[in-house]
Parts: sequence; C-alpha cells; structure tokens
Amino acid sequence: MQEATFLILTALAAGSQHGYGIITDVTGISDGRVRLRAGTLYTALDRLREDGLIEVDHEEVVDSRLRRYYRLMPAGAERLSEEAARLQANADVAMSRLDVSGGLAT
Amino acid sequence: MTDATNLERCYRRLLAWYPRAFRREHEEEMLAVLMASARDGRRRPGLADSADLIRNAIWMRLRPQRPPPTVCWALRLMVLGAVLELVSLATVLATQGGLRSAIVRHFPHFTMAQWHAEVHAHILPVEVGAPIAATLCLWLAWANGRGHGWARGLFLGFFGLTSLSLLAAFGQHAATYAPSDLIVGCGLWLVGLVTVLLILNPRSEQHYSRRRPDRRTRENRTAVGGLGHEHVWRSDGGSASWN
Repeated sequence: MQEATFLILTALAAGSQHGYGIITDVTGISDGRVRLRAGTLYTALDRLREDGLIEVDHEEVVDSRLRRYYRLMPAGAERLSEEAARLQANADVAMSRLDVSGGLAT
Repeated sequence: MTDATNLERCYRRLLAWYPRAFRREHEEEMLAVLMASARDGRRRPGLADSADLIRNAIWMRLRPQRPPPTVCWALRLMVLGAVLELVSLATVLATQGGLRSAIVRHFPHFTMAQWHAEVHAHILPVEVGAPIAATLCLWLAWANGRGHGWARGLFLGFFGLTSLSLLAAFGQHAATYAPSDLIVGCGLWLVGLVTVLLILNPRSEQHYSRRRPDRRTRENRTAVGGLGHEHVWRSDGGSASWN
C-alpha cells in the first residue's frame, strides 16, 4: 500500500471527512512531511471507492461550494488494520535489532 | 474579473484534462478543495498544483479500466459469442449441401427454384448477418467494458433478436433439416442468456453507473451557485435522503 493511501485511510479511520479535511489531517498525521494535492487525493479516493474501501457518507453545499464527505467501509478498516500490523511488525523487528546492536549501524 | 474568478477559470481549464466521467463525479468538489487551498490574492494556479493535476489526469486517462468480475465474464462471453457467430457461419456453409439433400429426402418434388428461394430466405441472411453480428458482439464488448449504459441496452436488444431467430429456426423445422446449425444456434443463445444475466447482475451496476451522474450530484450541482443555500445529502445504509 502506498504511503498516501495509508494516510488517507488513517485520516478517515477517525470519522467521515471531506477532501480539504483529509488534506489537512494527512499533513498533521505525517507531521508536515506529506502534503497531498487535490489531483493526487481525488485519484486515490476514486480508486479506493472503486475497490470498496471507502464510500460517500454525505454531501453539503457550503458557500456555494460542494463538499463531499467520505467514510471508511469495513473492508477499508480491515485493509488499514492489516497494513498497520505489517508496518508495526517490520518496525518491531527493526527496533529490536537496533537494540541488540546498541543502536549503531556499522 | 476578480482574482478568485480568474483562478477558478484556470483550475477548470486544468480539470478539463480529466476524463469526462471523472469530471462529472469530482470536478465541483476538487474545485472547492483547490480554491480552499489557494492563497488569497492568487490569480493563477501554482506550478506544483498544475503539474499534479495534469499528471493525475493523464494517469486517469491511461489507467486500465477494472470492471467487476461479473462484467469481466460478460465481456469474455461477448467475445465467445462473436466466435460462435463465425462458427455458425462456417457450419451453415459446410452443411449447405447436406441441408438440400435432407429437404429433398422429405420432399422428393423439391425443385431447384424452391431451393434458390430457400437459400435467399434463410441461408443468405445468415451468411451476411453472422459476420455483422460477430463485429457487433466485439464492439459491444468494448463499449460495455467502458461502462456505457446504452451498450448494455443494445446487447439486450441483440439478445432479443437472437432469441427470435432461434424461435424462427425451430418454427421452420431446423431440428429436422439442419440439426448442427440449430445446435450452434442454441449454444449462441445460451451464451447470450448468461451474458445478459451477468450484465444485469446488481454487482455490475456500479460499473455502468460510473458514467451516469447520480441524482445527488445533479441536485448538488444545481445547489452550487445558490448563495447561502445549504443542501445536505446523507447516505444511510444504501438509501439516500435530503435533509
């Protein structure tokens, strides 16, 4: 799973959000390291919807602009959980090896 | 012209690079995000935003379509249908001599003129129609693969015609005179029937609805532009309601 996809699903794990909300949330989650742009975001959202991982929750028009809120589907939550477990396992191995070698790479 | 209007026009020009179906679904909300992300006083999109939009638009146009399994199987069967049309043509051509003998066996006074009339009425239409039907099947497979709703309707019509021609063949005692032609015809009809069931399957619906702007998007688009007006559509377990 690409990092942007992982972060989008993570953003939606907290509840439904609209596009701009996801962008700001992803920036926050990644500590400013990942800044999603509209083109990348909506290409990813379109693919995630197609794969049945997210769906449209509701829409509203605010200041004459359309806001569409997306939410995580059970399949999306499961994929995110699997990916998080995989990353966690890799991170655990890396940390334990760093502990053994005293944190020094030679 | 204000800065915001100019910026919005520039963004719309960039969004025009996306496929029409994608634009219909996402253009307004993308525009909302782009305008919200833009700094005050900006008149033109930034280079990074423009590059991101164009790069993703090209990707959206080039990426392979991924229809659901039901549609994938339907497309394969449409191609098989095209092959069977050509098989039916080959069978008709190969059994033409045998057909005349079979008719003569049952009707000893069957004249050459009657045979020519039979060829013009039944065999010639198959010889001309089968290659056309095969081409139509392949074209419909392509159009259904692209998610065109009219292609689904057209295939249903095509299946209706196939059913009628099979019934006509039974009515003309094809089972007696041309059993092999009838067997191929029945195979073709069965392939058509399974294809129809697959494209009408609820799991195929999303593939076709991607090209169709849904009700809420149409109504929200109408609402966009109405200043101070707030419209909310909420999805609750598949049912849609306006609050």
